[in-house]
Amino acid sequence: MQKHSDETLVAYLDGELDGAERQHVEAWLAADDAARDRLTGLAQSADLLRSAYGDIVNEPVPERLIAAARGETAGEAQPRAAEILVLRRPQRSTMTMPGGRWGIGIAAAAALFGLVVGGTGSYLASGLLSSGNPAAEQRLAAAAANNTWLDNAAGYYKLVVSAGDALTIDVAADADSREALQKASLPQTRWPDLKPWGLNFRGARLVVVEGRPAAQLVYTTENKAIGPLTLVIGASKQSDIQPTFDHRQDVNLLYWRHQGRAYALVGQTDIGYLWGIANDVAWQLDAI
Amino acid sequence: MRWKEAEAPVRAADRADPVSQRFSDQLIAVLPRLRRFARGLTGSATEADDLVQAACERALAREHQFQEGTRFDSWMFRIVQTVWIDQLRAREVRKEDSDVPEERLGSDAPVRTIEARLALAEVRRAVQFLPPDQRTTLMLVTVEGLSYKEAADVVGVPVGTIMSRLARARIALQQHLETGGASRRSVKNAEAQ
Repeated sequence: MQKHSDETLVAYLDGELDGAERQHVEAWLAADDAARDRLTGLAQSADLLRSAYGDIVNEPVPERLIAAARGETAGEAQPRAAEILVLRRPQRSTMTMPGGRWGIGIAAAAALFGLVVGGTGSYLASGLLSSGNPAAEQRLAAAAANNTWLDNAAGYYKLVVSAGDALTIDVAADADSREALQKASLPQTRWPDLKPWGLNFRGARLVVVEGRPAAQLVYTTENKAIGPLTLVIGASKQSDIQPTFDHRQDVNLLYWRHQGRAYALVGQTDIGYLWGIANDVAWQLDAI
Repeated sequence: MRWKEAEAPVRAADRADPVSQRFSDQLIAVLPRLRRFARGLTGSATEADDLVQAACERALAREHQFQEGTRFDSWMFRIVQTVWIDQLRAREVRKEDSDVPEERLGSDAPVRTIEARLALAEVRRAVQFLPPDQRTTLMLVTVEGLSYKEAADVVGVPVGTIMSRLARARIALQQHLETGGASRRSVKNAEAQ
């Protein structure tokens, strides 16, 4: 009968008994001190168990798992089918943004990213890439590596959105950013102030980019046309690139690399807002 | 400052992905819980991530078997559990000793400090001494919060079996923690360590 009693007590704790069974157990507990003690012990051990595994869901998810969830293998990312849309007059090779913060090298950006068409090995890049060309292969490898980290940035954004209010922040918004990031072995940076955009800094999460810790800064807003937004900042060994727009997993990204750091602003807002905010971020962080 | 789209320099277009976008999104969203579940099963962070990766690959191969309208997390828990059982059986065939801790439930463990006994790591270690079926049930119901019926569907056994496995697991866990004194310590103190 002890086994039956244990099952009943555990089921009572788990809310698995119907009304009549519950009343029966409660009457039993009221009359039996030993049963009450046993129930208390079971409840405490269950709490301990939940605490023991509670933090695991807040750990950064390894890149390889995010890649696996997309049917890829991290580190072996292959260039995917993509196409380049040249949206401005082709005769101009650079563009100066309002405020003069960024000049865009169309040819350079086009050569570095998303140049594989149809996944068949034929490339469209104004004749820059051809089979057996070492420089072309190097660029292609850079594009492949870029695909992986951008997909991860989009995946991390989706984790933030899906967690909602339950999101756990590793570094609180009111923490000293440099000290906190140093403790977390993250690239030293400041939190960009995006309040002019109506974006409130909620905190930073530790994520993994190119196999190393990176910071995912989380911004929220009541303005559904803009937020939420995340900014991923990680160290990078690849060469600088100009701001480039991409769209992955139903998420918009604006990314660039500057002096050993990779930046990706991620959100579901439109490209116009992303560009303006990214421009502000780059100016604040001297990441131009 | 607004950027005019007509002035955009380069725009990488949407890509055609062989994996269903919606399916992949669901999988990414449930990854943290799969990792936790797998950690409880394997007792090792590395093995857990290997298990989740293998489960992802199996899930993608069987995407067509997932029934819309049913719980995606339960479906994935089932795959993780199935892959894990397969791995355990493979080890049995190879007669591998899969990192079984030296300490056993009820054994005369060396005397340690109260603090060491009460660490949450001790709780996780205690889980590893449970038989695989009890461990799975404990993680699904007590940690992941599935109902008995949902857990029964994941494992593929009657609800009554879940009840008995869970009771045995909880009692064994409690006894182990009481032996170490952990159950007398508050969760707050445990987390502080």
